[in-house]
Amino acid sequence: MATPLAHRPAPERRRGRTRERLRVLGFLSPWLIGFTVFFGYPLLATVYFSFMHYNQIQAPTFVGLRNWAYVLGRMPLFGPALWNTLWLVVVMVALRVVFGLGIGLLVTKVKTGAGFFRTAFYLPYLAPPVAATVAFVFLLNPGTGPVNEALGALGIPAPNWFNDPAWAKPSLVLLSLWGIGDLMVIFMAALLDVPKEQYEAAELDGAGALARFRYVTWPSITPIVTFAVVTGVVQTMQYYTQALVAGKLASGVSVGPGTVIQPGYPDGSTLTVPQLVYSLGFQNFDTGAACALSLVLFAIAMAVTSLLMRGRAGLLSAED
Amino acid sequence: MTPTTATGPAGHRARSALRWIAVHTTAVAAALFFVLPFVFVLLTSVMSDEQAMSGELWPHEWHWSNYAEVFRTPGFLTWWRNSLLYAGLGTLFTVCSSVPVAYALARFRFRGRRPAMMLVIATMMLPPQVIVIPMYLVWAQQLHLSGSLWPLIVPMAFGDAYAVFLLRQFLLTIPREYLESAKVDGCGELRTLVRIVVPMAKPGIAAVALFQFFFCWNDYFGPQIYAAQNPGAWTLSYGLESFKSAHSVDWNLTMAATLLVMAPVVLVFFFAQKAFVEGVTLTGVKG
Amino acid sequence: MPRPRTRPRLTRRTLLPLLATTALLLSGCANPSTGSADDDPTAPVTLAFWHGWSEKHEVKAVDDSIARFRRLHPHIRVKTTGNVSDATVNQALRAGGGNAPDVVSSFTTDNVGQYCSSGMWADLDPFLKKSGMVKERIFPEVLLDYTRYRGKQCALPLLADAFGMYYNKDAFEKAGITRPPRTMSEFRRAAVKLTERTAGGSYRQLGFMPDFRLYQNSPDRLFAQWAPTYFDEEGKSRLARGGAAEDFFTTQRRMVTELGGYSALEKFRTTFGDEMSSQNAFLTGKLAMHMDGEWRGLMLDAAKPRFRWGTAPMPVPDDQADAYGRGYLTGTVAGIAHSSRHQNAAWELVRFLTADTSQVVAFANAIHNVPSTKAALASPELARDPAFRTFLGIARHPRSVSMPPSVNGGRYVLSLRDFAFRAEAGRVPDLKKGLRRLDRQIDEDNLQSRN
Repeated sequence: MATPLAHRPAPERRRGRTRERLRVLGFLSPWLIGFTVFFGYPLLATVYFSFMHYNQIQAPTFVGLRNWAYVLGRMPLFGPALWNTLWLVVVMVALRVVFGLGIGLLVTKVKTGAGFFRTAFYLPYLAPPVAATVAFVFLLNPGTGPVNEALGALGIPAPNWFNDPAWAKPSLVLLSLWGIGDLMVIFMAALLDVPKEQYEAAELDGAGALARFRYVTWPSITPIVTFAVVTGVVQTMQYYTQALVAGKLASGVSVGPGTVIQPGYPDGSTLTVPQLVYSLGFQNFDTGAACALSLVLFAIAMAVTSLLMRGRAGLLSAED
Repeated sequence: MTPTTATGPAGHRARSALRWIAVHTTAVAAALFFVLPFVFVLLTSVMSDEQAMSGELWPHEWHWSNYAEVFRTPGFLTWWRNSLLYAGLGTLFTVCSSVPVAYALARFRFRGRRPAMMLVIATMMLPPQVIVIPMYLVWAQQLHLSGSLWPLIVPMAFGDAYAVFLLRQFLLTIPREYLESAKVDGCGELRTLVRIVVPMAKPGIAAVALFQFFFCWNDYFGPQIYAAQNPGAWTLSYGLESFKSAHSVDWNLTMAATLLVMAPVVLVFFFAQKAFVEGVTLTGVKG
Repeated sequence: MPRPRTRPRLTRRTLLPLLATTALLLSGCANPSTGSADDDPTAPVTLAFWHGWSEKHEVKAVDDSIARFRRLHPHIRVKTTGNVSDATVNQALRAGGGNAPDVVSSFTTDNVGQYCSSGMWADLDPFLKKSGMVKERIFPEVLLDYTRYRGKQCALPLLADAFGMYYNKDAFEKAGITRPPRTMSEFRRAAVKLTERTAGGSYRQLGFMPDFRLYQNSPDRLFAQWAPTYFDEEGKSRLARGGAAEDFFTTQRRMVTELGGYSALEKFRTTFGDEMSSQNAFLTGKLAMHMDGEWRGLMLDAAKPRFRWGTAPMPVPDDQADAYGRGYLTGTVAGIAHSSRHQNAAWELVRFLTADTSQVVAFANAIHNVPSTKAALASPELARDPAFRTFLGIARHPRSVSMPPSVNGGRYVLSLRDFAFRAEAGRVPDLKKGLRRLDRQIDEDNLQSRN
C-alpha cells in the first residue's frame, strides 16, 4: 500500500520518516522496555550464572563448565525429568487434540440440549489448575476416592492413580482431558466453518461418513489442528503446576515446617524439567546448576518454536 | 436432500432417529465425565471429616458449616484479597500497555517489524522458568520486594507477549480504510487509537482482559516464587495447595475450599460468556 | 529461530546498554544486605522472631515466653511470626531487607551445616564469650553437635525432640502381647500379630505402618535405631560400607512383605487423615504401633482416644539388643540472622529462649518437648507423667542418635529418602549396588555445593 509520504520532497520526507520512527518507538516503548528488562536481562544473567557457583549468599565464583557437567552428566534427576516432559509432550498433546476434536464434533452434532452440553463440556476448562488438581487427587485417591469406590463396587480392579509411578502420568493426562474446553471451542468453530455444500456434494458422490471426514472436514480444519498441536506443545513444555500439586498432595506428606518436599512423587514419575529448575534454584539454592538447566529448557523451547514457525503454524502470516 | 437408498423416507427417519440416540447417548456419557467431578467435590465438601475419610459417596448429614469454617481459616480472606489485587491490577496494566504495542505492530509498516513479531512470539513460547532465577534475585536482593505480589504485577505494565499477539490478530481484522479515513479527518495516531480503534476492538480487548484475569487468578508459579515467604501475600491458588497439610484439615474442608476457589471463575464466565468464547475462537481461527 | 534481518550496527547499539545494565545488576548480587553486631542492646528496638510452631497451644506458649522476656527486657519489643518453614527462612535470609527476621528458628537440624557454612546464621561464639557463658557447661554434648558445623556454633538448641513408640494397649491386650517389642524381630512378629484385615483385602487395624512417607516415619528416623555412620573422616558418604544400611532396608522390606505388600500398605495410607487432625491414623485406631515425637502425648491427652495407650522406645536391631532405649534425637534450633542490624538485642532473646533455665522448663512443659539444657533436664519442675518420662529417657540415653550436619544441609537426607522410597517399594533389586550408587551421588552433590 502506497503511503502519502512517498510523494513529498526529500527533506520533508526525511523529517517525516524520523517522526514516523519516533512514533513507532513511542507505541512500542512499553514492550521494548519490558522485553529488555524482563527478558533480555534475565536471559543474559542466566547465561552468566550458569558458569558460576552462587548460593545466593556468598559472592558468585567462576567455576567454568562444572554446572553444565553436573546437570547434564552427574545429576541423576535430569534424565527422568527430561523423559517425563517429553512423554507428556507427546502423549498429552496427541490425546488432547484427538479428544478435543471428538468432543468438538459431538457438540456440532447434538440437537437437543446443545446449550447444556456445551457449557458442561466447557466449564472444567475454567477450573483453576490448582483447584482442579486438588479435586482430581481427591477423586482418584486410592483408599477413599469416589472413583475407586465406584470401580470397586462394579468389581473392576482399580489402579492407584497418582500414587503409582506407572499411573501418575496417565492420571495427569486424564486431568488435562477434563479441561478440554478450549480446544473444544476452537474445533467447534472450525467445524462449523466448513462449507455445507461440500458435504452435500460429497454425499451425492456416495461418500460415507469416514470418507467425508477424510476428504472434506480434515483438509479444512488442518490449520486449526496444527495450531492446537503447537500451543499444546508449548504449554506442555512448561507443565508445572498440576504435576507439582498432584505429586505433593498425593504423597500425603505434611508440608509443615521442617519438611522439604522433593517434587516428582511417586518415584520421580511426575518430575518435569520446570519443576527441577525450581527445585535446584529455590530448594537447593544452587543457582549455577538451575541456570544451566534453564538454558537447556530454553534451547529445547527455541528449537521447537523455530521448527513451528518455519512450518505452517499459522502464528506468523505471510504478509509479516 | 434425500439419500439414494431403497428404504425411502421411513427408513431415513428411522436411521436419523438412531443417529439421534447414538449422538445423545455419547453426549450424556461425556457430560458425566465432565460434570461428575464437580458433583463429588460438592458432596464431599458438606461431609463430616470422619465421613470424608470413609469413601462413602452420599453425605449422612449436610455440614454446610464447613464453608463457614473455611472462611474462618487464618488467611483465607487475605488470599482472596490478594488474588483480586493481583488479577485486577494485572489485567488493567496488561491491557493498557499491550494495546498500543499491538496497534503499532498491526498498523505501522517499519523495518524490524517482522523480527519484532518473532520476538513477541518467542517470548510467548518461553517457559517462565527459564528466566525466573535472575529475575527473582533482582526483586529479592536489589529491590527487596520479594514476599509481595509487586514483582508479578509491575512487569505487566510493560506489555504481555500473549496479549500483544492476540490484540494484534484482532486489530488486523479491522479494515484499514476505517483508520485511513480517521487520519484524513485530522486525527493523530494516538487519538485514532483511543477514539476509533479501542471502541472497535472492544471484543478483542474484553477477551484479552478475561484471559489475563484468569491467568493471574490461576497463577501458581509466580506466587510460589515471590509470595511464598510471606503468608500475607499468598493468593488463593497458592494458599489452596498448602491448605490441606498446613492447616491440618481433611478432605471435606479441602473440597469446600476448592469449590470456593473455582466459584468466582465460573461466575465471571457466566457473566462474560460471549466475550470468552469469542476470545478462545480468536486465538485459533485467526492467523 | 530465523535470524532477524537487522543491521549489525543496530544490534550493537541495543546490545551494549543491555550488557552494561546486566553487569551493573550482577555486580550488586554479590552482597545482599549484611547486618551488624554493634547495636546497643539496651536501646529500644523491635525484633522479628520467626518460628515454626502452628498449633494453638504452641503459639500461646511462644507468646507467653515472649511476655516473660519482655518483663526482663522491657525495651525490646518482639514481633513473632509462626508456622514458618525452613524454605521460607532460607529465602528470606537470602533476600535480606526489612522483611527479614532477626531471630530465626528451625524445626530441623538438617540445615544447620548449610546455615553455618554459608554464614546465613551469625556465629554465636563471640556472643557467648561476651556474656561469659561456657556452652559445654550449659548444653548436653549431643545437642551442641547438631547445632554447629566445622567448629562454627551458629545455632543453639531450643528444646529437643526424641522419637519413640506409641502403642495401643487395648490392641496389645487383645493380641495377647504383654510388653512393647524390643528387637526388630519381636517388632515384626508383633506388627503381624496386631494386624487385622477386612474381607475386601484392606486393613481394619495395622500393627505398624512401615511406609516411609507416613507422618514422622522418615527413613533417617527409623534408621537411627541402627546408629549408622553417614560420613567417614574425609567426609565421604559411607552408607554402602559396614552393612547397617543393608540390614535396615532388608528388615524394612521383610516387614512390608509380611504385612501385605507395599501396594496394599500405600493404598491403606491414603485412607489416613492429616497427621495433626482428628483423623490421625493412630488416634482413629487404624494403627496399633506408631512412631512419633514426644509432643504427640499432649495431643493424645487432648483428643481422648477410645483406647488406652502407652509409650516405649523404638526397637533396636537384634544384634544391638543392649542399645534398647535409644532413639532418634533432633530439636528445634535458634540463631541470629546474618542480616540483622540488632544482633546484640537478638542475642538477648536467643540467650533467654535457649539458656534461661526457668524459661526452658516452662516452655518445655507447655508444648511437651524435651528441655535442652543440663539444668532444665534436672529441674524438679519438669512434667512427670510416665508417657513423657519415656522420651526424657530416650533423650538422656547415651546411645541415642542425631543426624550429622552437612555443607548442603539436608540434601543427603533427601537423597537417602529418595533411595529409601524406592527400596521399600522393592524397586532396588541389588541393595549393595544401589547403596554404592547412593554414596556416589551424595558425594557428587556435596562436591557441587562446595565452592
